[in-house]
Amino acid sequence: MIKLTIDGREVELERPVTVLEAAKRVGVTIPTLCYFEGLPNFGGCRLCLVEVERLPKLQTSCTLMASDGMVVRTETEQIRAARRAMLEFLLINHPLDCPYCDKAGECTLQDLVARYGPEAGRFAEGKRKHPESLDDPIIVRNMERCVLCTRCVRMCEDLQGAYAISVSGRGGHSLIEPFSGGRYDCEYCGNCLTVCPVGAIMSRLHRHSYRPWFVEREVETVCGYCGVGCSMVLQVREDSIVRTIPRFGLGLNNGLLCVRGRFGYDAVDGEGRLTTPLIRVEGRLEPVGWEEALAFVASRLGEIKDSHGGRAVGAIASGRCTNEDNYMLQKLMRFVIGSNNIDSAARFHYAPAEAFLESVFGQGITANLIPGIADSDGVFVTGGDPTAINPVLGLQVRAARRSGGKVIVLGPPGGLKRFVDHELVPMPYSDEVVLSAIVGGLMEAGRSSGENRAVEERLKELRLPSEEELSAAGIGPEALARAVDDLLKMTNPVVILGPEIMDGARASKRLFLVGAVAYLMNARIYLLSERPNYQGVMDMGCVPDLLPGGGPIGLEMLRDRIEAVLGLRVPEEGGLTLFEMVDEAERGGLRALYVMGEDLLFSLPDRARVQRALGRLDLLVVQDIYLTETAAMADVVLPAAAWSEKDGTFTNLERRVQLLRRGRYPRAGREDWRIIADIGGRLGMEKTYRSAEEVWEEVTHASPLHAGLGYSEIAGGGAVWPYHSEPLKGTEAGFAVQGLGELPGVEAPGGPYLMPERPLFHSGTLSRRSRALLSIHPEPYLVIPPSLSEELGVTDGGRVRVVGAKGTMVLKVRIDPDQREGTVLLSNTFEGANFAGLVGFTADPVTGCLTIEDNTVRLERVDDEAL
Amino acid sequence: MKIQEEIKGYLERYPDRRGALLPALYIAQRKAGWLSQEALEAVSEALDLPKATVRGVATFYAMYRQRPMGRHLIQLCTNVACMIFGAERLVDLLKERYGLEPGGTTDDGRFSLVIMECIGACDRAPAMLVDTDFHPGLTEEKIESILEGYE
Ligand code: SF4
Ligand code: SF4
Ligand code: SF4
Ligand code: FES
Ligand code: FES
Repeated sequence: MIKLTIDGREVELERPVTVLEAAKRVGVTIPTLCYFEGLPNFGGCRLCLVEVERLPKLQTSCTLMASDGMVVRTETEQIRAARRAMLEFLLINHPLDCPYCDKAGECTLQDLVARYGPEAGRFAEGKRKHPESLDDPIIVRNMERCVLCTRCVRMCEDLQGAYAISVSGRGGHSLIEPFSGGRYDCEYCGNCLTVCPVGAIMSRLHRHSYRPWFVEREVETVCGYCGVGCSMVLQVREDSIVRTIPRFGLGLNNGLLCVRGRFGYDAVDGEGRLTTPLIRVEGRLEPVGWEEALAFVASRLGEIKDSHGGRAVGAIASGRCTNEDNYMLQKLMRFVIGSNNIDSAARFHYAPAEAFLESVFGQGITANLIPGIADSDGVFVTGGDPTAINPVLGLQVRAARRSGGKVIVLGPPGGLKRFVDHELVPMPYSDEVVLSAIVGGLMEAGRSSGENRAVEERLKELRLPSEEELSAAGIGPEALARAVDDLLKMTNPVVILGPEIMDGARASKRLFLVGAVAYLMNARIYLLSERPNYQGVMDMGCVPDLLPGGGPIGLEMLRDRIEAVLGLRVPEEGGLTLFEMVDEAERGGLRALYVMGEDLLFSLPDRARVQRALGRLDLLVVQDIYLTETAAMADVVLPAAAWSEKDGTFTNLERRVQLLRRGRYPRAGREDWRIIADIGGRLGMEKTYRSAEEVWEEVTHASPLHAGLGYSEIAGGGAVWPYHSEPLKGTEAGFAVQGLGELPGVEAPGGPYLMPERPLFHSGTLSRRSRALLSIHPEPYLVIPPSLSEELGVTDGGRVRVVGAKGTMVLKVRIDPDQREGTVLLSNTFEGANFAGLVGFTADPVTGCLTIEDNTVRLERVDDEAL
Repeated sequence: MKIQEEIKGYLERYPDRRGALLPALYIAQRKAGWLSQEALEAVSEALDLPKATVRGVATFYAMYRQRPMGRHLIQLCTNVACMIFGAERLVDLLKERYGLEPGGTTDDGRFSLVIMECIGACDRAPAMLVDTDFHPGLTEEKIESILEGYE
């Protein structure tokens, strides 16, 4: 026990902390400038000086450890004079351009000088000059204002792990620069500008467009880009969003954001936001009023239901829409139309992966808290780069490594490059060989506990690769043995699983093996989620075979339960998955499709086939915020409210239910749930709803999982899995795995494999509406390895024609020395230049996930003159 | 690629990669006379250290050059001891004889001149460094004959 006195107050400490922190505990705030909670201490600004009895000089309280018997004073005339002197030194160079500076009003230096002075400086020699740098599209650097506190550098290195900026020069010439001296070319998380105490590093997005004290309202909400679900604050003035900022102490991201959350908020203000409903008249989409559009949709849906039955109608839900929106769509389909044909793009990877793992290990197996990753002593990552797919989760992996944990990555490490201990990059489509060897290694070490008989029984069938087979898969046996050794040393491990684990045939086998690795190591599993609400889509029953709450539709008990709550009957006939709906539409069995917030034509491969299928429908309704490729084909288009314009809830990949709050009123559209409820009402649904909260209220009754979980509990942070009720245990049904007894041979493909890139700066088709994100990553490119560039004779930025099984595109190339041999990458972001437009697909027979087919491509150099 | 190999050869002499940064920067500088962005990138790659970190260190020290320089760098001291012993006269001489201004480079790219503040040779003032060679006790005659030895 340490006892000390600070400003006459007694402080008792269990563990030693700095005097600054000790003071904070008894409510004494000591001024600081270079200190920032969570960053390593620097002790450079000397603003936090305090007097300590028996110590001759003033001490920096941010670095001085409190010790027993200390008597500390934090605000004496001597201290005030010292602070004034420190500030006077800073003002030698700091320009007094506050009227022109965006930081004025929330600037620490301004506040400190206002408090301590000096009222005028005595240094007459002129200030250093360094013109404001506008070289970067996103970040403005004004180094005349920099006080060299190095908070930005420590943030970028120690929390973000990007190492993109440093102090350059020396003494009075020091300033903060990215490597280029101009453009940042970094991860653009913006976390450096959160910590800059002055106006030296600022966002360019709202430059000179507001003053901090003009912010009228602050709205706490959740990011709409990915399944991490970072909390953020929308700052609003006159019904427009001035900026979004993170806040320390708020949400699981605790003050950090990634580039999409921080800068991508303008995606809802892109060109071409839908402003009015549209109906196709003589082949053209014409604007109509809401009443006409809603009446039309209701009557057409009613007619199709009456003449062909509910099964002729299907709906696509959306991982970008709220739980309330998705619940309502599900309600319309199941209980009003009478069809279980409801699915979403979660079908591609997330939903089947989760369903599969739950069938093996029980409900909630992937529900683990993100902040726990940093505390683990080992992380096994496979199937995608967490720092790009779920960036703030990726930071946790970096943090785990920094505090001594081992990181093992199976697959290209991407943003974990600097943070891996074992980088296992197999030949394309050979992951299952490596996974088998890892599982073999863990079993050999006696890691089978007998706890899950079913898993261990199946593992006996597993054919393990020989050393030659392992080497043929691209991994040396020694490298593998070393990785397994480290896996065995982990006591509190984490397994992180991305969508790419499902790419290629036998997805069930790879999933099973990753599950087995987690089981044998007793690890927590995290499933990366590319959309903010894929989990909610599933939880709300937007899956053909699951009811709200995730219970299987086949269980009569659950069907009866929901009937008792809603007074409405669940259709018994099984529903179609997204892929089956496309097939049925092509065959003419599906007559109407209601698409909410999904661009099917763009996100599904084999565009020609999808186009054909959608073209055969009698009714295609698309509800979205932009006229997407799919919307352009629709019979009716309904404009929806966007992320920052509505209330509701999202469920993130940890299964934390979080509130989304409206920052401003929709410019034109209506909330998705409201549109659907209106249509439902016209088709005989009796219940009406006035707010998203009322919809949620119904969810808490319909879903056993969410019982008793009102908005107030969600707001209070109480909505963390397993909520209030018991999750379902492993289902009796068992599970199927394909091909455990076989190993694939190494096939020589006819050309490089085209694989999807999941870029940090984009997210599906939404981000291409954001001017900010586009300014960082403006155009599509094909990532190729250097060997291919030599073979083709193209240089960086040159063009190639990519001939795929389902399409041909001319693309710029980007040569990446780390790109895996025999593979090229393209993201699914830009219109007319996207991954899905070149390849074919089928559904995985066991898990039902998306399996990409026909993805070897031929590349030809295109000389610019020929264009 | 040669730089990278040479740098890697140094790695084992240091407890960590960061420790090898200063010598690695010297190696890179020796190749071109200064540290271009490309040279810094090569160092960063060879040591697997972040580019920004490498640049930060390189810009901190005066002995690393951020701009192209002559083939040979003259570092002449004009601090107190050297000044008393006539260093300023030597500065003038370099201007007259070679057209070399402090901070400048000769037209033929042969020499660059940097003025130093005490190179620790006050007892043998005035003194200068040419590249890494130390030359104390300079006189007007001596400096010319020394410099003629550098092509
Ligand atoms: S935006 Fe992020 S990655 Fe870029 S310099 Fe700032 S902290 Fe580093
Ligand atoms: S740019 Fe800002 S955060 Fe970085 S050192 Fe300067 S004042 Fe500090
Ligand atoms: S990590 Fe995901 S939720 Fe967080 S800010 Fe980035 S995109 Fe948004
Ligand atoms: S806050 Fe303590 S020295 Fe800067
Ligand atoms: S003053 Fe020139 S070497 Fe010391």
